[in-house]
Amino acid sequence: MLFLQLLLQGIQTGALYALTAAGFALIFGATRIFHFAHGTSFTLAGYAFLFCWNGGLPGWIGTLAGIAVAMLFGLAMERLVYRPIQRHEGSFFTVFVAAFGVAVVVQNLVGMVAGRGFASVDTRLSLATEVLPDVFLAPIFWIAIAVAVVLFAALSAFLTRTHAGVALRALAQNPDLLRAYGLSSNRLSMLAFAVGSAMAAPAAILTAMTTGLNEAIGHHVMLISMAATIVGGVGSLRGAALAGLMLGVAESVALQFVDTQWAEAVSFLVLFAFIIFRPSGFFGVAQTR
Amino acid sequence: MIAYAANLATIVAIFGILAATLNFVVGFAGIFSVAHAVFFGLGAYAGAQVALHIVPDALLACVVAAVVAGGLSLCLALPALRVRGEYFVAASLGLQMMATTLFSEAKAFTGGIGGLVAIPRPTLFGMEVSVLPLALVALALILFATALLQRGAFGRTLQALRDAESAAEALGKNVAAAKTLAMLFACAGAGIAGALFALHLSFVNVESFTMDQSVLVMAMVIIGGTGTLWGPVIGAIILLSLPAGLAFVPFIPATEVGAVQQIIYGLAMTLLMIFRPAGLVGDLSKGRATA
Amino acid sequence: MTDEVLRTENLARAFGGLQAVAGVSLSLYAGKVTALVGPNGAGKTTTFNLITGNLRADSGAAQIRGKPIMGLKPWQVARLGVARSFQDLRLFTHMTVRENVLAATETASWFWQPGGGAARRAREDRAARALEATGLAALAHARAVDLAYAERKFLSMARILAAEADIWLLDEPASGLDLASRLRFGELLRGATARGVAICLIEHNLDVVTELSDRIAFLDQGKVLAEGDPQTILRDPALAAIYFGDRPQEAA
Ligand SMILES: Nc1ncnc2c1ncn2[C@@H]1O[C@H](COP(=O)(O)OP(=O)(O)OP(=O)(O)O)[C@@H](O)[C@H]1O
Ligand SMILES: [Mg+2]
Repeated sequence: MLFLQLLLQGIQTGALYALTAAGFALIFGATRIFHFAHGTSFTLAGYAFLFCWNGGLPGWIGTLAGIAVAMLFGLAMERLVYRPIQRHEGSFFTVFVAAFGVAVVVQNLVGMVAGRGFASVDTRLSLATEVLPDVFLAPIFWIAIAVAVVLFAALSAFLTRTHAGVALRALAQNPDLLRAYGLSSNRLSMLAFAVGSAMAAPAAILTAMTTGLNEAIGHHVMLISMAATIVGGVGSLRGAALAGLMLGVAESVALQFVDTQWAEAVSFLVLFAFIIFRPSGFFGVAQTR
Repeated sequence: MIAYAANLATIVAIFGILAATLNFVVGFAGIFSVAHAVFFGLGAYAGAQVALHIVPDALLACVVAAVVAGGLSLCLALPALRVRGEYFVAASLGLQMMATTLFSEAKAFTGGIGGLVAIPRPTLFGMEVSVLPLALVALALILFATALLQRGAFGRTLQALRDAESAAEALGKNVAAAKTLAMLFACAGAGIAGALFALHLSFVNVESFTMDQSVLVMAMVIIGGTGTLWGPVIGAIILLSLPAGLAFVPFIPATEVGAVQQIIYGLAMTLLMIFRPAGLVGDLSKGRATA
Repeated sequence: MTDEVLRTENLARAFGGLQAVAGVSLSLYAGKVTALVGPNGAGKTTTFNLITGNLRADSGAAQIRGKPIMGLKPWQVARLGVARSFQDLRLFTHMTVRENVLAATETASWFWQPGGGAARRAREDRAARALEATGLAALAHARAVDLAYAERKFLSMARILAAEADIWLLDEPASGLDLASRLRFGELLRGATARGVAICLIEHNLDVVTELSDRIAFLDQGKVLAEGDPQTILRDPALAAIYFGDRPQEAA
């Protein structure tokens, strides 16, 4: 039953990866900005929730605070970092380095303020009970699945039913439209950052309730989001989400065969293989050259 | 005090080599590798193994390190031939993460998390030497190579394929060969830096070969100025003397020095990218640097 | 008859359902300018890409002086003496004008070029002459990105001149040039054909075509509809109708 246990665990992790990755993919697709500080939104949202919780505030306030912080951070990055760089024809690498710098700064600030090492919130939601012989599940498993399903439903409704959503999707599928859109691309890019960053918050909060957060977790989250986006195929939110789920499951199921230290390497092996053999990903529409 | 200065100088020279070799691929070929520490590590382990099990000859250690790191540079050349831009950065990050795990697990070669200890003092032609002069010579050679690259045909080839790969090919340039060659050269150089590093510290472990280290080296190149001759070295000097400088600032508690240092270099990277993307040196020799 | 240096036979290539090139047979002759004309999307650029190996052909063949070139890489085709320009120029933007042209003279991908100092001076001479001929000598140390439109076009030509190829494939090199620049461009072409260079010129401006070309191949929807001397082709009312867009209504 170890396998089933690992599979379920993987699905839980994967659901959270999927959410974060979809946020990253949304931003990358719509703006072509490799938002390397996406993991930082995740960290900030998680710690914001942690602070509220430890301050005795109810969970929903913490959740709102987490979402707000993630969104604000995403918007601030767009306005204060990416926009000025793109104004002077900065290459993608300029963007990458700048974002990376911010990620380093925030990681260390969080470490100084909140202390280093793992921190988590204790709730009864993460107490596991035996649901099958030797298979343990906590309520949080169901919450994670439900949150992921609801958010993806909401996101796809937003992307197909609303005017702004359709525009974002069009941008993701056809980067050339970015230029044709002209005036409104400014606002669309802010929208992409707001929505994409907000997607990281629920995952961060659920992570705080389960495995816990540390100040460096943003790195890991970022790398997984990036891997999922590329494996899924740039321009495809569905691809990124599926790939995120798959990476979570792969990492977890791999534990049946290899030691924990290798779990993360499995994701990167998958990423590396995709880049060499199928750079356009599962559902890739975008070309890489 | 002299020992301290000599130690700092050796480390600066070693990281100068690392940054200058990374500059070949980043500054000239426009291949943005975030896996340079992997080849630094490969060289360090290879050099350490030579010193531990064969002879602590510095030259032999460097040659073996260069061969190992250069040979494995194919791991990075392969994705470089397939993809560009963000995709390549992602591939190199993937490689870096896998290598970090491998370094901690391949105990026979790397000694695992504990690393390789008690590496004997290096010798050269049978005489014991300190690493500083060796590192300075290597750095000088690398800088000389950079100067040639800036003026010569190969550097032009790399820059041409950076700016317009298809046009370079249409002019008869074998782009794949040029990229592979540049990568091989840069990685072999990183391997040499690694061997010198291992011989200097007489102890190495995976901590020095993580993604953080790759990013630090990258930051040196960027802060100094990509594609410039002295930029990477100046970047290395600045970033390596930061901790030393911060140690003298009274109001920072000792436990936070590392974090403050990281914050400073993170801020420096971001602000430079926003206001001066060509780097510190890049501005002086306008038209050279292209971040 | 003049020497045929490049010939394609029934080159074809589809993108998904779109047959971009549908069996193009074309010949280029030493010392002659062949204009490739046709409406937008006719498949002109794609034909170039098939010849140079930038795209794989679905079927068909091409040879340079009898040597088959299908399946060769772009750099291999280039080393057989083919130089091309791109519709979007693809200059080495962050290099200087002189470096752009020098890069065109250096083909070895090794750390150094063969031939030593004498060969290097010869290459530098070639580059200098190319800059002189294109009127860019005064701008030798400007970066390519900082050039004006016409200067960029001439830099693209200077690279080709310096490459010393004897087959030129030029993708709209004269588009958007003012009259004076066009005259200078014409001189460049005439100088080249006098040396025996075979030129294929994609060009939309029919005045330029009339003035510069010896032969015309008319391409539409991936097919060569007509081939011949400029007068006959340009006077054909059916071709003119296609070219200027009032294509006869096709059966539904
Ligand atoms: N890489 C590609 N993928 C898909 N379709 C392509 C590709 N390259 C060209 N096409 C399509 O093939 C057709 C022919 O294109 P081509 O660029 O050869 O036309 P052209 O004759 O050069 O036109 P123009 O005068 O506008 O330059 C066009 O419909 C174009 O959209
Ligand atoms: Mg065209």
